[in-house]
Amino acid sequence: MIRKIRIVTQGLFLLTFLWLFLQTESKGTDELGYPVKIFLDADPLIFITTILSSREWYQTFFLAIAVIIATVILGRVFCGWVCPMGTLNNIVSALQKKRPRRAPLNWHWLKYCILTFLITLSLFSLQFTGIFDPISFLIRSFSLSVYPLVVYATKATFDLFYNLNIPVLVNMSEFTYALFKKIWLPFQQPFFLQSAFLGLLFFIILGLNLLEKRFWCKYLCPLGAFLGLLSRYAFLQRSVSEGCNSCGACDFDCQGGASPDQKEKWHNTECMACMNCDDLCPQHAVGFRFFKKAQTVPIDLGKRRVIGAILSGLAAVPLMRITAINKQAGASEPKLIRPPGSLDEKQFLARCVKCGECMKVCITNGLQPTFLEAGIEGIWSPVLIPRIGYCEYRCTLCGQVCPTGAIKKLEMQDKEKVKVGLAMIDKGRCLPYAHATPCIVCQEVCPIPKKAIWLEKAKVMSRNEDVMILNQPHIDLDLCNGCGLCEAKCPVLGQPAIYVTSIGESRSKENQLLLS
Amino acid sequence: MKVFSECLMDRRDFLKTTIVAGITFAIPGNASLFLKALDAAEKTDLVVAHGISPARITTAAIDGLGGIRAFISRGDIVVVKPNIGWDRLPEYAATTNPEVVSTVVALCYEAGAKQVKVFDHSVVDPRRCYKQSGISTAATAVGGIVSYIDDRKFREVKLPGVALKSWPLYTEAIEADKFINIPIAKTHGLSTLTLGMKNLMGIMGSSRGRIHQRIDGSLVDLAMAVKPTLIILDAVRVLTANGPQGGDLADVKQLNTVVAGRDQVAVDAFGATLFGIKGSALGYVVAGQKAGLGNMDLAKLRIKKINV
Repeated sequence: MIRKIRIVTQGLFLLTFLWLFLQTESKGTDELGYPVKIFLDADPLIFITTILSSREWYQTFFLAIAVIIATVILGRVFCGWVCPMGTLNNIVSALQKKRPRRAPLNWHWLKYCILTFLITLSLFSLQFTGIFDPISFLIRSFSLSVYPLVVYATKATFDLFYNLNIPVLVNMSEFTYALFKKIWLPFQQPFFLQSAFLGLLFFIILGLNLLEKRFWCKYLCPLGAFLGLLSRYAFLQRSVSEGCNSCGACDFDCQGGASPDQKEKWHNTECMACMNCDDLCPQHAVGFRFFKKAQTVPIDLGKRRVIGAILSGLAAVPLMRITAINKQAGASEPKLIRPPGSLDEKQFLARCVKCGECMKVCITNGLQPTFLEAGIEGIWSPVLIPRIGYCEYRCTLCGQVCPTGAIKKLEMQDKEKVKVGLAMIDKGRCLPYAHATPCIVCQEVCPIPKKAIWLEKAKVMSRNEDVMILNQPHIDLDLCNGCGLCEAKCPVLGQPAIYVTSIGESRSKENQLLLS
Repeated sequence: MKVFSECLMDRRDFLKTTIVAGITFAIPGNASLFLKALDAAEKTDLVVAHGISPARITTAAIDGLGGIRAFISRGDIVVVKPNIGWDRLPEYAATTNPEVVSTVVALCYEAGAKQVKVFDHSVVDPRRCYKQSGISTAATAVGGIVSYIDDRKFREVKLPGVALKSWPLYTEAIEADKFINIPIAKTHGLSTLTLGMKNLMGIMGSSRGRIHQRIDGSLVDLAMAVKPTLIILDAVRVLTANGPQGGDLADVKQLNTVVAGRDQVAVDAFGATLFGIKGSALGYVVAGQKAGLGNMDLAKLRIKKINV
């Protein structure tokens, strides 16, 4: 009975998660209308490590603290009942019907080591939690890979029917297509760099469930480890009565691999409160009760492993930071254009959890995951690539969905002033400069009310010595905000004749050009 | 009650000024008068309607050309093509006035149109353009079928070849029974204007930015291929600088005017005068005249001016 309630609860949370994921998309206004980042807000691991790494308190802490309190009272109910990543692992695990012949790996210690490593990093201001945090991992994988994949396949299928051009069939498929568009398809096909790589990583993690049930949850998840520590002295504890005849029926169905059949030798920190053992016990000997003394063994960890994790954390901080891009202003990749409202790079990296929310919501698909442009420390953090999509002038959505404030939420009048970089012209490729051909596209599209691109009427000689008067674009560096619309629309494809680099970005004191 | 009496007053003024169209309105049963009215309307090349209400000047301008039934027949599939190119509120005069658009859509339905479709190939994000321009809401409210551009619906179309031999155009636009172009009058580049012919770029696919290399010829090609049934130039508000996108209310001028006509060159030539320049100063107007698309000589056109 409790098991059924749990499954329904898990389903509801997963659906809520998916629904909010789908709502992380513009509908034409600058509001989303739903609390789309609520699962990230509720993630205590992100909460604590961000506070440690940024050394600043955090605005939306209520949910994270609620999860901490719930865990102290009820144990790891978040893992067993709420976490959408856990539920997905659970679903794939359910495909494994037979008990595997191998003994389980029992690597429970590994996730505590990962947790220790991440906390050590964050103590030294390096926020790396997002790489392993389940909510971050899930949203990133869905946003950048899984959802685009499903959308592509769906669109391709409907296109196939559309091109068959059989009247009734086309009507039917187009009707369904329109319905899908209303319910769950995005406005446009999302495209992301590294999508295959990120997708592969996600499917491998899901696949591990076939090796062993809830592999990720048991052995890898640092959030699970954190909640495990909190659940050690939880008010709600499992108790096994005298009636237990050690039949072992509960063992295979234990989601945490907590050895429930071992009675008082079981691992209470591994229990996800799934209540399978309670439901399954043929003797009705298992129960969960408040204020019972825990019948359990200590966390299976070992001093050496903990020290090893701390030491590797201590080494990893300088190792990640000695990359030459940190040497001086301007040494980093000039195309590392951060979203509008991003904090100064150091503070930005201390907060960004690489969840991909900003990339999911970006109206032009221009926000993409970095690879090594921002060092390993900044892997999968957002970068604006204007050739893929520019920054929409009156859009502040990325700042609205950022869970940790790495991208500030901007008011509209501030957004219009924030510079993410500056555009410059490549006279060697620009048509009116280099090729005696008229073109004013960059000036036409420039969204700055007074135009950050101005045109100079210039006499240009063609090959036949005809003198032509052409409009040659110039950039007003004071007005340009680096949105990249000019670069996005420049007809000189490939390497554009006008392009944005991060110099002049408002968030940086150092990365400046003009004396101001 | 007050509103109603105001309406009556305006109606009376309206009747006085637009006798021809007025009579067809007032006595629809009188066939000979109706024909006369049509005849007179045929002879009008351009109607310039001026007044506070965008809806009323739009209706008056169309009535001045013989009424919507002179253009739209029962059962027609009509495309109404406003400018929804930019993410700006109507006050900024970067996109067509939503009331002008919705009035035209409603009139088409009154004339028995089967479907009135409204769309534009926006330059920036379409969701934001459709919403902020107010056009999506206004047109939908009167039954207009507002849709975003669907990439699958572009088809390579042969063009006259003044500058372009062929280009992918939006099938819904070229296959419609009637096409009504509703541009807004704005500056573009440094000295050029974007009026009716330039608004047709909104049915072009592919990387249309390239046509700026031979903009005048390209626009003539496009205008000859599309041949709108009716052009309604929205000059309720015009953008006098920093077009076509604008963004500064100081650059917006309230003209409270709508220009309607059948001749694309004539509409654009007259549109130029709203900015104090001659039609002959616009390359595509001259090229249009040369290609036989229309007449830019305003002195030779019968232009009817109406105050509503």
